[in-house]
Amino acid sequence: MNTHATRQPNDRQTGTAPTVSSSGAAALPLGRVPVLVQKYTRERWVSVLFLLPSVVFLLLTSVYPLLYSLRLSFFSWNMSIPFSQPVFVGLKNYANLVQDPAFISSVKITLIYVGAAVTIELILGMGLALLATSGARAMGLTRTVLLFPLMMTPVVAGILWRTLFHSTYGVINHLIGLVGIPAQTWLGSPSQALPAVITVEIWQQLPVVTFVLAAGIQSLPVDMYKAAQVDGASRWQIFRMVTLPLLRPVIIVVLLLRIMDAFKVFDIVFMLTYGGPGQVTEVLSMLIYKTGLKFFQIGQASAMSWLFLIFIFIISFFFIRELQRGES
Amino acid sequence: MLISYRLRRRLSTVSLYTTIGVVLVAIAFPIYWLVITSLKIGAEVATYPPVYIPSRITLENYTAVLQGENAKFLVNSVIIALSSTFLTTLMGAMAAYALAKTYLAFWVRRSLMLWILVTRIFPPITTAIPYYVVIKNLGLADTHIAVIITYVAYGLPFVIWLMLGFFQDLPADIEKAAIVDGCSMWQRFRQVVLPLTLPGLAVTAIFAFIYAWNEFLYASILTSFTAKTLPVMISTFMSDQYLRWGEMSAMGSLMIIPVMIFSAATQKYLVRGLTFGAVKG
Repeated sequence: MNTHATRQPNDRQTGTAPTVSSSGAAALPLGRVPVLVQKYTRERWVSVLFLLPSVVFLLLTSVYPLLYSLRLSFFSWNMSIPFSQPVFVGLKNYANLVQDPAFISSVKITLIYVGAAVTIELILGMGLALLATSGARAMGLTRTVLLFPLMMTPVVAGILWRTLFHSTYGVINHLIGLVGIPAQTWLGSPSQALPAVITVEIWQQLPVVTFVLAAGIQSLPVDMYKAAQVDGASRWQIFRMVTLPLLRPVIIVVLLLRIMDAFKVFDIVFMLTYGGPGQVTEVLSMLIYKTGLKFFQIGQASAMSWLFLIFIFIISFFFIRELQRGES
Repeated sequence: MLISYRLRRRLSTVSLYTTIGVVLVAIAFPIYWLVITSLKIGAEVATYPPVYIPSRITLENYTAVLQGENAKFLVNSVIIALSSTFLTTLMGAMAAYALAKTYLAFWVRRSLMLWILVTRIFPPITTAIPYYVVIKNLGLADTHIAVIITYVAYGLPFVIWLMLGFFQDLPADIEKAAIVDGCSMWQRFRQVVLPLTLPGLAVTAIFAFIYAWNEFLYASILTSFTAKTLPVMISTFMSDQYLRWGEMSAMGSLMIIPVMIFSAATQKYLVRGLTFGAVKG
């Protein structure tokens, strides 16, 4: 349809058009709102209509389930018993959890998992981003290769690495055998299972860190580098004194995202070890899954979910505050 | 002096590309392994030492996995991924447009956006249990609609946030002209804004599709047979058919093909998508 066909005789909107402001990394991209010269009553109602489907949908599918889960966390309910009803127990579920060795060990495992994976991803990702941005063709090549693990279905990554880690027919045992290291059990070993799962996490998520840091490096002003080179700075000095401080906001963004997402891990643990052997890879998502959806202790699992949520929010707020401090 | 400088430069270039090459080969090897295993004849699949280069290639694993129920699961995956992508993108783009404009009060938009950002943080498992209970009570277990609802719920915040960035990148003058021409807000959205942000919209839709195509947790708890998707199907290879690596790899390769085709198209906006728009790439 041609826009002119719908031209109206008198223009209703004559005030300044709403301007759009952009802001720096991760802050709410609203910026300063211009003073409205005229009241856009009609536009306001249309805006509400535009928002309505999403807001209603999210209220029903995101807010309601979480509040329902909060309610369930104060009840004791074993859903696997037919016709069983939730029984109110107050804070008992939470009190139990704080003393539950399985829960405490799961929290520890999750923290080790997230800490190790994100730290290694950041170091390797920084190295790879620096390498990729220093050669003309290197970036294209890196981008093409890294897209594969990143976009791969996590469940497929899980079965693929299970075959690679296989103790008898696995490629990894064969390759380390070539340099004289005896075959390992990897996913079946209490000491190697967690590092093995973390390896898969790093393999899949390293591209995120690399791509984001590389984009950050490429957007840095070239003048600074030239000036540093003229001053005779070594490569390490340039990295330490120029690149790193300028990249700080990007590094914090990528850290925040990776930490938030690493906490969510479920698929690859489910496929690789199902939390085992014993409990050594039972991250929180896995523990909640087993408690709620395998043993159907709905109340207990809901309490776990809420502790998990609160925990993640505390960590996220710490990082967001850090980001905003860097901006001001 | 000059020659030695050139030589040094050349050497550093060589070492740079060697290092990158080694790293990239290590990262790419598992992918090669998946594809090559799917093309192997049965006798070369689970062997010691492993067969790195198959003596001949075959498509028998592919024909084997595409038979019977698996075709149905493939159709389920396509239906669910496409429907949820369409709904998420449509609803999300409209909401993002309203948030990108300044008609609503600042505090309203700011609190809505904070809410949406917070939704992004939830680990999926925290809503999995209420979803399971509610969907079961509603009698929607093992239906396409149940899975689609959860995917839209999870994808919406992402789409809204990403589209917000694309809408804000649009020069304000273009819309000003449409306002002067007397276009209503819906007309501006439909005929001016959407066509101009089409690349952004397409990329956002692709990200939404990839999420829905790859998702496993919700699909595994909400479906059992009728609405079962490919990731859930693949996960069953683990337990009962453990050493059928050829078929498993064929299924895995089939799963990643659409994702790879689509993700190639997202290259330009990849970083923006990965960072939820926080870093514009």
